Amino acid sequence: MTRSLSVIAIALASAVLLLAQAPTPAPPNPASQATLRAPSGDKAITIAHQNNQTYFAADEVIAGLGGSVTHDGNGFKASLNNTVAAFGTDSRFGVVKDDLIEMPIPPVTIDNRPFVPWQFFQGFLIRSSNLDATWDPATRILQIHPAQTAAVGVTVSVANVQGISKVVLTLTAPADYTIVKEPGAYTVRFKNPIRAPYVEQTHEDAYVAKTSFIGQDLRIQLTAPDVVGDAYRLENPFRIVLDLRKGAAVAPGTPQPLNSTRPIEAPGIHTIVIDPGHGGKEVGAIGPGGLMEKDATLALCRKLAVALEAKLKTRVVLTRNDDTVVPLDQRTAIANQYHADLFLSVHMNAAIVKGAHGAETYFLSLDASDKLAEKAAEVENASKNSAAPAASSDLKLMLWDLAQQEYLNESSRLAQAVQEEMNRITGVQSRGVKQAPFKVLVGATMPAALVEVAFITNPDEEGKIKSDAFQKTVVDALTTAVERYKVDYETRIGVAQPAPAAPTTTAPAPAAPTTTTTTKPATRTGT
Amino acid sequence: MRRAVVLSLAILAVAGGCKKKELTPNLNLENKVAVRPVTLFFEGPEMLLVRETRNVALPENPAGALSVVARELLKGSSNAGVPRIFPRDTVIRSAFLLPDGTAFIDLGGNTLSQGWGTGSHEELMAVYSVVQTVTTNFPEAKRVRILVNDEPAETLAGHVNLSRALLPSAAYVAH
Repeated sequence: MTRSLSVIAIALASAVLLLAQAPTPAPPNPASQATLRAPSGDKAITIAHQNNQTYFAADEVIAGLGGSVTHDGNGFKASLNNTVAAFGTDSRFGVVKDDLIEMPIPPVTIDNRPFVPWQFFQGFLIRSSNLDATWDPATRILQIHPAQTAAVGVTVSVANVQGISKVVLTLTAPADYTIVKEPGAYTVRFKNPIRAPYVEQTHEDAYVAKTSFIGQDLRIQLTAPDVVGDAYRLENPFRIVLDLRKGAAVAPGTPQPLNSTRPIEAPGIHTIVIDPGHGGKEVGAIGPGGLMEKDATLALCRKLAVALEAKLKTRVVLTRNDDTVVPLDQRTAIANQYHADLFLSVHMNAAIVKGAHGAETYFLSLDASDKLAEKAAEVENASKNSAAPAASSDLKLMLWDLAQQEYLNESSRLAQAVQEEMNRITGVQSRGVKQAPFKVLVGATMPAALVEVAFITNPDEEGKIKSDAFQKTVVDALTTAVERYKVDYETRIGVAQPAPAAPTTTAPAPAAPTTTTTTKPATRTGT
Repeated sequence: MRRAVVLSLAILAVAGGCKKKELTPNLNLENKVAVRPVTLFFEGPEMLLVRETRNVALPENPAGALSVVARELLKGSSNAGVPRIFPRDTVIRSAFLLPDGTAFIDLGGNTLSQGWGTGSHEELMAVYSVVQTVTTNFPEAKRVRILVNDEPAETLAGHVNLSRALLPSAAYVAH
């Protein structure tokens, strides 16, 4: 094995020499001194500066922590506590285990010695030693400290989704916070130290002008004083989301319940999220006659939403109601946000095999995640057996990937009902219930399935998809399938109703927060 | 978030399992090529992957052979009646294998770069043609991670989750 690995390495190393076409940056100005403040004591380390960036002598820092850095002719390996990180000067990413260490800039070499940004130590130490690193340029101290007392890392993304500006703060660990509404701004005030990704950033967004970190505050500067928002949090990974919109009116295209009333939160199927596949520039498959999957799914799902609401008296939410791009994880996040009881993604299929026809229904496959599940268990056990925090960022990410697995049994039942009803449609041949590692199903914390209604690449089926009659047939089939599943599920959990009944209690729509304190979100119980 | 992966990093990780002495190769020996049968997977008439065996000149070292086999897959079936799964402009940018058994296949090409408009079935066939081909021909490859243009990709066409390495699956193969 060693022999074969060396052969691989040699060949790939040769390839890298050919691939390495990026210009080599000028070496930084070497050498000033800083202090490595490690649990074992203070040590002097060498730092260097280039283009306002500070680099640290990786060999000195890692040696100061009891490890070593070696150079093998192609790049560098840092070893600490039986964990090896590989990095090179041509990338701002290092590799550790099967994960990546992200640095703001690539490492450099001075006299063949590796100099890295301090964020390299953050990424490496948390994975090798449950330690964290913090650099203070004022005191020139690189502080190494236990990760459980480390500041929570925060990343910020701002995106406009269907007329709502979503500010998503992704945290490396759960944190307590308060959101304060000020004139023209929201401030997210964390109760414990945070690790800010930047000081200030402007955004080309309808409602978010800029975001800036001041101490433990994140200030979100709005573009207008009448921009209001709703705040909520998502788990796995831990995220704080602010949905910002103009005034009291709901922005056009916003995914909204078609039912103006909100059912009570009780066991059973009360909220259904329907996901029209693709959208915007992500057109999906295209039929020989030019019909785009994104248009076909939206038209069908709009009708399906109306039918479901009318027949089942449930709240129905569309992940998109216009021709816009909605990221895949955002679609399931919408379902999670609404505490949906069921998620159905609707697509049109494509095949290179001529004459392909029929419907297929999928639920998430386990096999692609076996290793992940094992690894999550390992990390969780390791956390329990040590002083490490119960939920590391790695574990959080894994648990997000595993979110749907708790509901696979129910997802299978849902998929089966959908497929059986699609089978009843005249002229559509069953291609069966299947499992696949579909991204849009991964993060859903409710029974979830994806139906491929027909093959848009088949001219006959493309023609059907365009027709109102076929669309109605499909809508009827899917509505019946969801109804069957609803009755079956509610019977099994003991809340079955003889017939679907209108909700008897309404809850007020969430108001824009003036001051919002974190609360535990409602969670579904696995069945 | 998309994060760049430079292949040399994985190479370094591979090199991590090597003895220093072996880093100075006899290139004539390492580049030795022999014609060997390889098994490729293409979509058959039953809309499942079917095997096709082909004799290909392969480097004896798996690292070199991996990219050769992947490129052979993209050439398509030798049977002109079997349609091509991947877009015609798809290329194998590189391929490498980590010591933990994860093979990385880095795809490129205009269509994949700009967003491949196809359905879930075709995307599944494409992805698993790579996964099955790699894991069948290289027993040391236990799982396959597909990259696009040197970076982690969410999907190829909006369906199949590529953010993790994929295990081979008999569900997509005709028996």
